[in-house]
Amino acid sequence: MSRFFDAGSDSDSESTQSDEPERFQQPKLTAAAFAFSDDEEETKRVVRSAKEKRYEELKTYVRNIKNFRKNRDIGSLLTNFEDLWKAFTKAQTVIQKEESGQVPRFYVRCMAEGEDFINSVWEDRNARKNLSKVQSKSLATLRQKLRKYNREEKMAAEIAKFRENPDLPDSDEEEKRAEDSDASDSDDDGASDAEVAPSTGTSKEPSRSREMSKAKDESDSDSDDIDWGSDSDESDYSDDDQDQYPSMRDYFLKKSTDKDDEARKRQKKEERERQRAEERERRRQQEEDDEDEDGDWEKVKKGAPTAKEKLKMFAKDDEVTLNLVNKKYAEISAARGKKGNDRREMIELLHELLTIAEQHNMTPGMIVKIKFGLTAAIFDYNLAIRYAMKPDLWEKVNQRVEDLLDQLLTTPDVIVGENILEENESLEEPPYRVRGCILSVVERLDDEFVKILKNCDAHSNEYFERLRDEHRMVRLIDKAVQLLESRLPKADDAVVELCTTPHEMCRGYLKQVEHIYYKVDKRIFQQAEGEVPADEPTSEQEVDRRCKYIYSNDSTAVLRTRAILYHIYHHALHDHWYEARDLMLMSHLQTNIQNADPVTKIHYNRMMVQLGLCAFRNSQIREAHNALLDIQSSPRVKELLAQGSSQRRDDLTQEQEELNKLREMPYHMHINLELLECVYLVSAMLIEVPYMAAHEFDARRRLISKSFHYQLRNSALKYDLLGPPELMREHVVAASKAMRRGDWRACRDFVIDKTMNAKVWDRFYNGDQPRADKVRAMLTRKIQEETLRTYLFTYSNVYDSVSMVTMSELFELSVGDVHSIVSKMIINAELMASLDEPSQTVVMHRTEPSRLQSMALQLADKLANFVENNERLLEMKQGRDMYYGRGGGGRGFGDRPPFPRGDRVGGGQGGYGRGGGGGGAWGNRRDNRGPPRDQRGPRR
Amino acid sequence: MTEYDLSMTVASYLDRHMVFPLLEFLSRLEVYDETDINKCRLELLKGSNMVDYNIDILELVYPDREVPAEINDRRSEVIQEWNELNLETKPIFAILHDEEVKKQIQVSRDSKQLVDFLVERFNFKVEMMDTLYRLAKFNYEVGNYGRAAECLYLHKVLVPTNDKNYLNSLWGKFSSEILMQHWEAAVEDMNRLKEYIDNHPFSSDAQALTQRCWLIHWSLFVFFNAPKGYELLIDMFLYQPNYLNTIQTMCPHILRYLATAVVMSRQNRPNALKDLVKVIQQESYSYRDPITEFIECLYVNFDFDGAQHKLEACEAVLANDFFTVSCPADFIENARLMTFETFCRIHQVISINMLAQKLNMDPKEAERWIVNLIRQAHLDAKIDSAQGHVIMGQQAVSPYQQLIEKTKHISFRAQTLTDTIRKKLSAKNQEHGGWAGDM
Repeated sequence: MSRFFDAGSDSDSESTQSDEPERFQQPKLTAAAFAFSDDEEETKRVVRSAKEKRYEELKTYVRNIKNFRKNRDIGSLLTNFEDLWKAFTKAQTVIQKEESGQVPRFYVRCMAEGEDFINSVWEDRNARKNLSKVQSKSLATLRQKLRKYNREEKMAAEIAKFRENPDLPDSDEEEKRAEDSDASDSDDDGASDAEVAPSTGTSKEPSRSREMSKAKDESDSDSDDIDWGSDSDESDYSDDDQDQYPSMRDYFLKKSTDKDDEARKRQKKEERERQRAEERERRRQQEEDDEDEDGDWEKVKKGAPTAKEKLKMFAKDDEVTLNLVNKKYAEISAARGKKGNDRREMIELLHELLTIAEQHNMTPGMIVKIKFGLTAAIFDYNLAIRYAMKPDLWEKVNQRVEDLLDQLLTTPDVIVGENILEENESLEEPPYRVRGCILSVVERLDDEFVKILKNCDAHSNEYFERLRDEHRMVRLIDKAVQLLESRLPKADDAVVELCTTPHEMCRGYLKQVEHIYYKVDKRIFQQAEGEVPADEPTSEQEVDRRCKYIYSNDSTAVLRTRAILYHIYHHALHDHWYEARDLMLMSHLQTNIQNADPVTKIHYNRMMVQLGLCAFRNSQIREAHNALLDIQSSPRVKELLAQGSSQRRDDLTQEQEELNKLREMPYHMHINLELLECVYLVSAMLIEVPYMAAHEFDARRRLISKSFHYQLRNSALKYDLLGPPELMREHVVAASKAMRRGDWRACRDFVIDKTMNAKVWDRFYNGDQPRADKVRAMLTRKIQEETLRTYLFTYSNVYDSVSMVTMSELFELSVGDVHSIVSKMIINAELMASLDEPSQTVVMHRTEPSRLQSMALQLADKLANFVENNERLLEMKQGRDMYYGRGGGGRGFGDRPPFPRGDRVGGGQGGYGRGGGGGGAWGNRRDNRGPPRDQRGPRR
Repeated sequence: MTEYDLSMTVASYLDRHMVFPLLEFLSRLEVYDETDINKCRLELLKGSNMVDYNIDILELVYPDREVPAEINDRRSEVIQEWNELNLETKPIFAILHDEEVKKQIQVSRDSKQLVDFLVERFNFKVEMMDTLYRLAKFNYEVGNYGRAAECLYLHKVLVPTNDKNYLNSLWGKFSSEILMQHWEAAVEDMNRLKEYIDNHPFSSDAQALTQRCWLIHWSLFVFFNAPKGYELLIDMFLYQPNYLNTIQTMCPHILRYLATAVVMSRQNRPNALKDLVKVIQQESYSYRDPITEFIECLYVNFDFDGAQHKLEACEAVLANDFFTVSCPADFIENARLMTFETFCRIHQVISINMLAQKLNMDPKEAERWIVNLIRQAHLDAKIDSAQGHVIMGQQAVSPYQQLIEKTKHISFRAQTLTDTIRKKLSAKNQEHGGWAGDM
């Protein structure tokens, strides 16, 4: 204790002690401290000297610094430090004069702590990343300045000296502390102190000692197996702050209980000693458990310690009754959520309580209640939501919850409900009623699980390890749903309000679906092919059943929307294109998805993408293109699908970025982006290349796919000499060029070759080759057809007539197919030709218009444009729907609402402005199927 | 042949009484075993009030068995009920058959007013309306449709639209008219019913959907029998989004009738075909039969051989369908024309032999057919009889034609534009009290 005085000069300490004892306390004690030290101050106040003034100033800054440190407001911290340094140089003379150049200790402390703080923040990369730009900038400057200052101002020596025994107080109050002999004892387990303190309230226990013990406690909790993350220093300060209150109470208590008899004090002391012993014992045990890595908490209840624990929880002679346990539970859980409450301690206490309750054959109601409290306490352990739980901790909760579920399943007379009020609980006799929501617990657990997954490196073994736990999670959810189902209201039930509400049931089902919908169930494919009997239950039925329940029972649109999205996704994943499409059209999602919450939007985007892929596999090229268009034309595909961010974005605040992080999908649910882009580009190629060929000289040609054109242009600009394609995009570009020439073989070879197979096509159906081959065959066929069309468009002016037989040989299509394609082109007036049936030839009628004629046609086009523009102008004035008139020929796109692009608006390129042939299948059809289809869907 | 038989599917949306004509038809077709059909009839009659009919059929199916006692009991019950009801409704009819009342019924538009009048003058009780309804229902159930229709007519006049039996009464009336084959009255009732369904929000959309679905099926009776029925059918099924939705969701098999109607009224409704093709393509995964496949072959795949095969199948299917039994000849003729038209649009030279084969005709017959078409100026073509070819007239669009096409609508659009502007202006001026904008 006196080392400080050894270090510093005697005279200095003496003077501080006599002059301003309470002022030195200030930096540590905040407002609350002043409150009770006021009366003392009055008696001791002397004249305010220059020194006092200066010190006052310094201390204000020091106090501010402390506050800002707590708030992690680094910007203000910087300015305050700068002010402090200025003030200190001013005070230098006074210090020189009065303290013979000895830098006041509180100042040194401030510098040292500041440095520590900055270093800790600096090293905590996670936290640093989360800082906003300004914040992190000031952090860097502050760090530099502080270092520089400490070096230049010869503070280093002082700080080093200070660090030797940092726990010394700035002022000396040893007379108070000396009395409290417990202080040193309580060092080893300050934690227990925190809990017992209010009740023990022994003689004089000034805040100083408690703080010290706290500090020690901090250090040992840091060293134990739980990673506190960047919280550690935060909680450090908050704890400090906290402790003022109990200590203040003690302060008053002391006065009132001074007259209390010594005997009682002694008894309490003994009790505490005993507790401490137990505590040590228990901790040791715990450590053993942790070392065993099985983390089984049940072990604790076995063996000797339990008896002692009981003693600790309840007085020796007390009979452990239900009421007492309940009271104790209330006592423990009252501390929940309060600052300064040791969360670890709480878990342990609750656990003991549970053990005791089980030993004394408490009613299941009570046990369930304690178990609820326990799981809640474990969840509470991790304060910041954005950080993942430790996996082993998760493991523990998992066991706890499973245990709880098992018990609830086996004891049907325990009724759990979130709307049972605390006072309405009945724990004594069946039917027991307990407040709590098992569903929330399971949901929370699932969230934590996802967070843990996201926290792992997706390519590491760890990820796999964790992912293996998923089946346990699923099992847990299944159990919860089973529980809910078993408590569904029956027709003859009198007390309906205690049964599972449809809403809860919906939530439960949705959670289940969440774990099913993105997984491919091979049996569904096999069932379609007849390899698996049709009556074998597949994930499809599971999803179907649950989603339908949600459709008909959900009253909030949110759950239903999610369910629809998952349902469509699941259908699309299994090539049920028509079902997926119908559900999509009936749900009318595209009209109101803009108003949905970001997470729903993300799911919508994922669904849309999956739908596009499904359409592609089912050779619905145009649909595939339309579905993927909006996602792919945005530069932020990754973000729209919540699969990480494509680039560092400066326009996002730290919070937004964090939110985005939170929403991200775990890696195993990701959709392959390259596959996506390739499918999109190939679809665009199949649509765009014939279109380009047909409208080569058309003044009003529109771009169907901007990004496809961008790729085309890009490749032309980038390289003077084109080598063989390497990247996927280059492959598609090369294929497009081949198609444009009418060389379908080259086109096919570019689209389907070894690299592309490895990169893209083999990934369909999770690498199921026979099925992927089907897609390739489909693709080849499409390439043949579209190349034929392109060929006819491009070269029709060279021919007077073409034999269909030749063409069928050229494109390896049957004559019938060629006939069909040519007929279609003739009917749609795309090709000016007619068939000569007896000779099986196509006779071209194309007459090249003369210059005057073509100019006249162009003029007519421009006139039409002009009129259209006028009409639009008028419509705009009238304030009608603006986009209905837009896009001229782009019928479908015209009334197709733009697809949403997640929460981020990816520029103004909505789906509508773009024109393009008759690509409006979505829009048109949507109109056909009016509202009833919408409502029907969910009911089907 | 039973593969494309929709009788059972359709029957599930019909009233029990309407299924009897269907069964009657099937038994005449002789594709099913007669006893099976009779058994089916028995199933239908179970628990119904048509006791005598039930006994007849029972004797047909099980000639060696006694008629079960319960049916005889039932018979006496029914007769007793009949008597009771008749007794009960006597005063009602006494009132309603009064000349003055009849006149009043003709005149008054509002049911409330009428009821007030009756209550005031003739000691009419409000409960009587329900009795009337019960009588109508009973009559209907014993197969006395004419009387049922009469009662329901009176009932409908008397009750307000929000009465609990109003909708049922409408259905009953519609059904009775159908069963009596009063098609004009049935059309009226159908429209009334449709109006009611479309304008009265049901508690759930599922209900509205079911109602529409029933209406669609019941109205088939009307559409395929009433004059201009095909066009009404197209208007309702294809151009009323609600009904199209219902068809797509609940009963895609109706597409057969829709397609038939579109083909039959090809000349009156040339545009319907395009829309039909769209719908058929959309629903091709959920429903297909030779008729929709024919359309698909012809207008989606341009597979004329396929279309020809389907056409053959169509004939059989249509001839075996209760509703379309009268159509095959017309249908085939129209379908041929459609095929030929498409053919001509694509081809420059066609050999008559090939054409005859595609149209499922004899070459000579085909030639005559084409000559007729040319003569009636449906077709710009010549026959090269030396080679047996039909040579189409040139149809290449000249640039001048294109130019005309492109600019044709521009002046019209500009005019409407100016009109709207002028209207707006005048509206504005009137708001300000000015007289400038007299149109």
